[in-house]
Amino acid sequence: MGRLDSRLTPYLVVAPFFLVFGVFGLYPLLFTAWVSLHDWQLVDGAQRFVGLTNFRALLADRNFWNALGNTVSLFVLSTAPQLVAALGLAALLDRGLRGRAFWRAGALLPNVISVAAVALVFAQLYGRDFGVVNHLLGLVGVDPVDWRGETWASHLAVSSIVMWRWTGYNALIYLAAMQSVPRDRYEAALLDGASRWRLFRSVTLPSIRPTILFTVVVSTIGGLQLFVEPQLFDPGGTALGTGGTDRQFQTLVMYLYEKGFRLFDAGYSAAIAWVLFLLILVVALVNFTLARRIAPKG
Amino acid sequence: MSGTPVGRAAAAIAIAVAATMTAACGDGAGDGAVKLSIGVFSDFGYDRLIEEYEAAHPGVRVEQRKVKMEQHHTQLATQLAGGRGAADVVAIEEGSIARFRRSKDKFVNLADHGARDLRSRWTAWKWQQGTADDGDFVLGLGTDMGGLALCYRRDLFQAAGLPVDREAVGALWPTWADFLATADRFTAATPGVKFVDTAQNVYKAVLDQTEEGYFAKDDTFIADTNPKVAEAFTLAASLGEKRQTGALTPFSQDWNVALKQGSFATTTCPAWALALIKAGAGEEAAGRWDVAAAPGGGGGNWGGSFLAVPAQSAHPREAYELAAWLTAPEQQKRIFKETGNLPSEPAAYRDPEVTSAVNDYFNQAPVGRIFGDAAESLQPTYRGTGDAQVTPVFNNALGRVESGRQSTKDSFEQAVREARDAVR
Repeated sequence: MGRLDSRLTPYLVVAPFFLVFGVFGLYPLLFTAWVSLHDWQLVDGAQRFVGLTNFRALLADRNFWNALGNTVSLFVLSTAPQLVAALGLAALLDRGLRGRAFWRAGALLPNVISVAAVALVFAQLYGRDFGVVNHLLGLVGVDPVDWRGETWASHLAVSSIVMWRWTGYNALIYLAAMQSVPRDRYEAALLDGASRWRLFRSVTLPSIRPTILFTVVVSTIGGLQLFVEPQLFDPGGTALGTGGTDRQFQTLVMYLYEKGFRLFDAGYSAAIAWVLFLLILVVALVNFTLARRIAPKG
Repeated sequence: MSGTPVGRAAAAIAIAVAATMTAACGDGAGDGAVKLSIGVFSDFGYDRLIEEYEAAHPGVRVEQRKVKMEQHHTQLATQLAGGRGAADVVAIEEGSIARFRRSKDKFVNLADHGARDLRSRWTAWKWQQGTADDGDFVLGLGTDMGGLALCYRRDLFQAAGLPVDREAVGALWPTWADFLATADRFTAATPGVKFVDTAQNVYKAVLDQTEEGYFAKDDTFIADTNPKVAEAFTLAASLGEKRQTGALTPFSQDWNVALKQGSFATTTCPAWALALIKAGAGEEAAGRWDVAAAPGGGGGNWGGSFLAVPAQSAHPREAYELAAWLTAPEQQKRIFKETGNLPSEPAAYRDPEVTSAVNDYFNQAPVGRIFGDAAESLQPTYRGTGDAQVTPVFNNALGRVESGRQSTKDSFEQAVREARDAVR
């Protein structure tokens, strides 16, 4: 009885998570797949079974490819620099700074502020006619940039919002990991005459490898699901959700939202959701593999 | 046991759960009153009316929910789909009602509660917009309507050497071609100021003066063949090509900033837009704005809403009574005085109290008379079920012309193609 108890208890303890996951994770996932196989109107529900028609239409849909391209571009533009900057920031915070708590709390501050507020402020900064950024550019003789109209400018602007929000957050995660690296490793390396950069590369990075992998996977998922920042950056707001007049910065999730909640085409929207899900799986796996290579075992 | 952290946590949770349950019970039982909720967006001016209604109907409690317009309609759609969560009375905007008409089984047929007896309250077209099945199904009762006028900055007109008196200003543009000519005169005199805020609003105003827009009255898609669409588009785009627009998204943050900075001289204004202009331009611009007749011989409707009752409501009868009371001419009149929303009922907009109304902020403009006149000549455009899908496509196309990214011709062709895809 005692053995049975010790064998069963762990399962009982982890069961609640899997129950909750089943209800809030697995079931919606499967239901979405079911919806995607139908001509499904948001208000009126299923009209008829159409098989893979939605997916086929999706592959021939240039707006879908445009949104995919934008998502990848925004993901690369914001995630990669953000993680590198976070690593650097963490390395700085890891040193014996004066007023450490202040700097560390400060790093997290952007993340605590409501994303809606952040997006609104940035939308003002990047205003075409009266924005602060264009004003500053004007001071050094640069012509005003149409931050929402030009594709690259809009991607830079949205990426800057994402980076502002998440760099500090990732830095704190890295910092936590760095703090648990045994100090004698550094001392040993210092005795061997290692430089600061060498210490960082050969001691710090390998030691926090699991943490880097974790942030890479989490940022991948977050980056590919980018929605709120670009949606609020769009002057049309949620009324349009097209990400600019020519879909310059419409991401996949924005397109999903447009199709599902503005055009009421739930079936098509569900198809986008599934393609996005598969895409995230693939990219996360690729990133995972790459990140393992970049930070080799010590 | 309860001394350990786990025990204390468990106790806390138990208390919290108990508290929630009591609260939930209290909510359900209450004082036996019928609880109604009403879901609206922006300012319907119902706050005081609801208090009055509650006082007159001791058995009824009304809870008002205000959400932003876009969210309101999206939320309503998901609530209807899910079969729960919608308010007992919901507001639906003109641009969206055609689409909800397609899902009319999710709504109460107000004719079952006697709505058809109220028919004579509204102008014929407003009544028709709220009904389906040739009038057998009453989906919503009309609240306000748009009407159309043109708001302009007196000081900027003066600086450009144009007349400032509202009658003379209205006489500048009997037709839209005259409006464009005025724009040229204005720009020649004061090149630093934009003549209109956005090409989108001009486009909408021109198109709204036609009988059919993107859809024919049998609901077939005609945006590609209807010459009126191309004409309105080209006209509005020409302002954009000449950089006479501020290239702003209407009612956006940028639009508000531009209003405050006084960087544009005119904007098309339905009755409800006066409040938005006042809010955006602020008190320091009081008296600078004025209201004149719109080009193209008045007419044109933009906006206005309906009150409908979702089928999922637990109290359809009471919900209908509330909606009928709120949309009665007497109440509509008072709303006009409070918020400026123009009633869609002749008894209300022909009432001396309404026609004699002036707007202090807009240089004492006789808005009651201006909008009352507009209401009389109003011939609304037919709104197809796909209107809400197609409209943004053409607006985006105008935005591309305004920002100089595309020629009028290319942009229009792209819009037609996208619109066709959207309603496929």
